[in-house]
Amino acid sequence: MNTNANADAGDDGPTAEDRDEIPPAPTGFLRRWVFSTDHKVIGRQFLFLGLGFLAIGGVMAMLIRWQLARPGAPVPLVGRLLFGASGGVISPVAYTALFTMHGTIMIFFAVTPVLIGGFGNFLLPLLIGARDMAFPRLNMASFWIMFAATAVLTASFFVPLGPPEAGWTAYATLSTAIGAPGPGQTLWVVAIYLNGASSVMGAVNYITTVLRMRAPGMTYLRMPLTVWGFFLTSILNALFVPVLAAAMVLLFFDRVLGTQFFIAGTTPGAGGDPILYQHLFWLFGHPEVYILILPAWGIVGDLLSFFARKPLFGYRVTVGALIGVVILSTVVYGHHMFTTGLSPLLGESFMLLTMIISVPTSLIVLSWLGTLWRGAIRLQTPMLFCLGLVFTFGVGGLTGLYLADITADMYLHDTYFVVGHFHLIMAAALLMSLFAAIYFWFPKMFGRMMSEGLGKLHFWLTFVPLNLVFMGQLVIGYEGMQRRLYDPSVYDFLKPLLPLNRGISHAAYLLGAAQLIFVVNFFASLARGARAEMNPWEVGTLEWTVASPPPHHNFDRIPLVVRGPHELAHPAARSLGRDWLGQAEIVDDAPAASPTPPAREPA
Amino acid sequence: MHIELPRDASLDGHLVDGAIGYLTLTTGIAFALALAFLASALVLHRARAGRTRGHHTHGNRKRDRALMFSVALVMFVAIDVTLALRATRDLEERFWRYPAADSTALRVEVTARQWAWSFRTAGPDGRFGTADDVVTLNELDVPIGRPIYLKLRSRDVVHSLYLPSFRTKIDAIPGMTTRLWFQATTPGRYEIACAQHCGVNHYKMRGLLDARTESDYREWLARAEIDSRLRDDPAAPSAPGGWDWETGENGK
Repeated sequence: MNTNANADAGDDGPTAEDRDEIPPAPTGFLRRWVFSTDHKVIGRQFLFLGLGFLAIGGVMAMLIRWQLARPGAPVPLVGRLLFGASGGVISPVAYTALFTMHGTIMIFFAVTPVLIGGFGNFLLPLLIGARDMAFPRLNMASFWIMFAATAVLTASFFVPLGPPEAGWTAYATLSTAIGAPGPGQTLWVVAIYLNGASSVMGAVNYITTVLRMRAPGMTYLRMPLTVWGFFLTSILNALFVPVLAAAMVLLFFDRVLGTQFFIAGTTPGAGGDPILYQHLFWLFGHPEVYILILPAWGIVGDLLSFFARKPLFGYRVTVGALIGVVILSTVVYGHHMFTTGLSPLLGESFMLLTMIISVPTSLIVLSWLGTLWRGAIRLQTPMLFCLGLVFTFGVGGLTGLYLADITADMYLHDTYFVVGHFHLIMAAALLMSLFAAIYFWFPKMFGRMMSEGLGKLHFWLTFVPLNLVFMGQLVIGYEGMQRRLYDPSVYDFLKPLLPLNRGISHAAYLLGAAQLIFVVNFFASLARGARAEMNPWEVGTLEWTVASPPPHHNFDRIPLVVRGPHELAHPAARSLGRDWLGQAEIVDDAPAASPTPPAREPA
Repeated sequence: MHIELPRDASLDGHLVDGAIGYLTLTTGIAFALALAFLASALVLHRARAGRTRGHHTHGNRKRDRALMFSVALVMFVAIDVTLALRATRDLEERFWRYPAADSTALRVEVTARQWAWSFRTAGPDGRFGTADDVVTLNELDVPIGRPIYLKLRSRDVVHSLYLPSFRTKIDAIPGMTTRLWFQATTPGRYEIACAQHCGVNHYKMRGLLDARTESDYREWLARAEIDSRLRDDPAAPSAPGGWDWETGENGK
């Protein structure tokens, strides 16, 4: 099968005119691999940084699960090393720091850099037919500011009075000097601020890139859903990360300068408002969920179509639904605050708005299901992870309704039901999309294939325990167990839950151990994997028209896009002996596939 | 494995359980249908020898769109709208209808701090912040059959009073007063928990709610009032505040 056919634009090599536009590739080691402005290098830097922190956050989760399975028992193997002062036992202080840092690291320093920094950077220019981001140096700054943020966060472990302990949400007044006097929490605030600065830089860059750098003919409705996902996420990032930054600045002032923006009722004359912090935090924090899930939805939409060998079902409706989710995501955050005594009008409004968001969300899920129907489904590793996402997102999304309902939320708020719900989305669904993306784009990123056998094994040993862990959390939450308890057996009504907690922990250990398969597969493939062809998955998006890995300037000649991203099972492809058409492929007998001419010439 | 909610000892807890039950039923059906569809697609439409091409779908977009919107709409009405109407009714008629004018209601001031609850009732004179107030630590004694009306404050960080057997919780927030009401139906001892992370010893912030019959409660109150008088020292800086019930201003 001729997998090169899609690359006809590049067959003749660059013309003299093209060569003038192509920036020369840097030659020095530092410029090439460290302070690079190449989106592909920066993408890989974000990927490795994020995967490193994913491992650290994962180990923290294992320690948390150990404590919940065997409260007060010394941690085996690493206990003496990590908790020497307490004889290998996780102390309440250490436990509090663990769940605080687990959440912080996973959300801000693992999933964000891998998904948005890593894949966003690597894919956006390639998928829209551009040679780089709109602002390559801003891109580099974005990575190095993120790197600085990780350094500050790491430093917070090693200061007097210990690491931050106010939870990843850092509610005031617990996060002010009243609840957290040490410098650890201050460093946490600085780290989150820097992380936000990095995100906003990336967001501005991505938005500009999508608006201005698309190849001729790449109209908005010909963009892969992956591009839509990163584009919409960037809009939310640019709008709402500054709100988080504002909260961090005010919290920093409260901690360091003695202001009282968030302090009230504790010291004489304190006239601030702890609830103001919650408003600011969740005004960012709820869009943040969508900031992370939108790229995942985009990736899964594209991949389901690719591996079902069939166009995406309802592409336009799906794009509309994604935009609808973005708009609604800005007006639902109040459901995080139902128990703070919101006024009835606010409470009911937020309940209704939260429920309305299930309409576009169910449209997206229906598009996935419809795509599979009458396809010729190839169950390769990336596809397995996509199907895994469909499952975990289904459970995670539906359990969100329990928490949108104020009456049910009065009981379930701040229980493990919430933990299970958001882990099914933020951990399970996002991990599924991350792994799908890694298995799918690894050949393009590194020029080698990953092992299918190990990939499938990794999928099953991830998917099954993952669901056991997070659905187990739903169950113990349903039975009433609160979040963030060092030792649930303090409560009589939680004592019977110990066996269940132990079972969840055992599934979690299995989940953690299974990731070693991925680590082995990743590094072994990196070193010795089979050489990847240009287009191993036989799909038509633009990144598969260039070499694996792509050259520094991506495209010898900027492609002319003539059709959408999901032209699989296309009748016109039959004569070519395959079932897909490239986005920039000119086929004589397929004029009907692209009735609309390129809408505009991007500048 | 036996999965169940904690024992319900409250007048209105069944409304919460009902909402949760309805959700489990409807979302369970929706999920099962989606899963059945997914499974059949995977079985029927897998690529195999002689079947390597998917079905090309362009042209009947109108039908596809109508299908998507109608399924989404049916789900929205059957689950979301039904629930929202039900919740709004329950909230406005029960949970948010505070017994402010009910003279039989037991009024309790709750002060949360790291890591304990103190509960203050007004005593025979009906006024808070006087010498006959009954103050208890980590123990709330209430009569069954009468509304219990709580107002909450916090002296340091955000806490959340959580009554699993009464299916409710409300945050205690420094600088503001929040409120909650419930009614116990079954005598017994039930646990009070803190649901909001409030520092290292959050897990120890446990209390007990003792629901008593009216006569039992009166007997307890008489004893507790004597204890409270003996312990009362208005000059002690650690004495739990007490505030004017109506205005929310500090009483002493």
